[in-house]
Amino acid sequence: MKSEKKHKVFVEGPVSPSFIAESIEKHNKKFSIGAHSIFLGQVRNDKHGEQEVAAIEYTSYREMAEEKFHEIREDAFKKFPLICMHIYHSLGVVKAGEISLMVFTSSVHRKDAMDACEEIVERIKKEVPVWGKEIFSNENTRWKINN
Amino acid sequence: MKINVLAFGQIADITGKSELEIFQVNSTGELTQVLEKTYPQLKSGNFLIAVNKKIIQKNTELHNEDTVALLPPFSGG
Repeated sequence: MKSEKKHKVFVEGPVSPSFIAESIEKHNKKFSIGAHSIFLGQVRNDKHGEQEVAAIEYTSYREMAEEKFHEIREDAFKKFPLICMHIYHSLGVVKAGEISLMVFTSSVHRKDAMDACEEIVERIKKEVPVWGKEIFSNENTRWKINN
Repeated sequence: MKINVLAFGQIADITGKSELEIFQVNSTGELTQVLEKTYPQLKSGNFLIAVNKKIIQKNTELHNEDTVALLPPFSGG
């Protein structure tokens, strides 16, 4: 096991807008930062026939997911000259319109933050063992499929 | 020889539970054969296998107390 500190990624329920605002504010003494890139994933009310997605319930293989998040984080710091990086992903129920994923990167110039943010989001979708179960308004469920 | 099996997502729906113990199997191939006998729906199930949190691509030897996870397509974010 690597000795570096493991960063907490999973949060119970949605990532709240006030938490996002506080995350931005926490950087206001890091004067070398010239750019933040923030990706927010929001639960969408996809239609399936007459039914509409009311929420997604997220589960994970937590130990493996945490190792994978750590690996993605380390790789991004090696590849891009980032000053900061924060990843938060929901577990449990997140309603349509709420935020389930935040990736927040900061760098001296915009391109590094933007490129890193995009790559991290793509890797999370492909490589991290998390599953979303769509819960419809009539309480039927269906496993989400990532595009 | 005991193998701890973890099932997630659609695969846990098929097995009806998220944790199983399987005895007397020596490889991931033997393990999936045993599981498919108990849960025939797994034959058409789409999943990757991780041994001790590492995804494997081919038949892999197992050891006592290994943890094998059955991972359907990821859908986080």
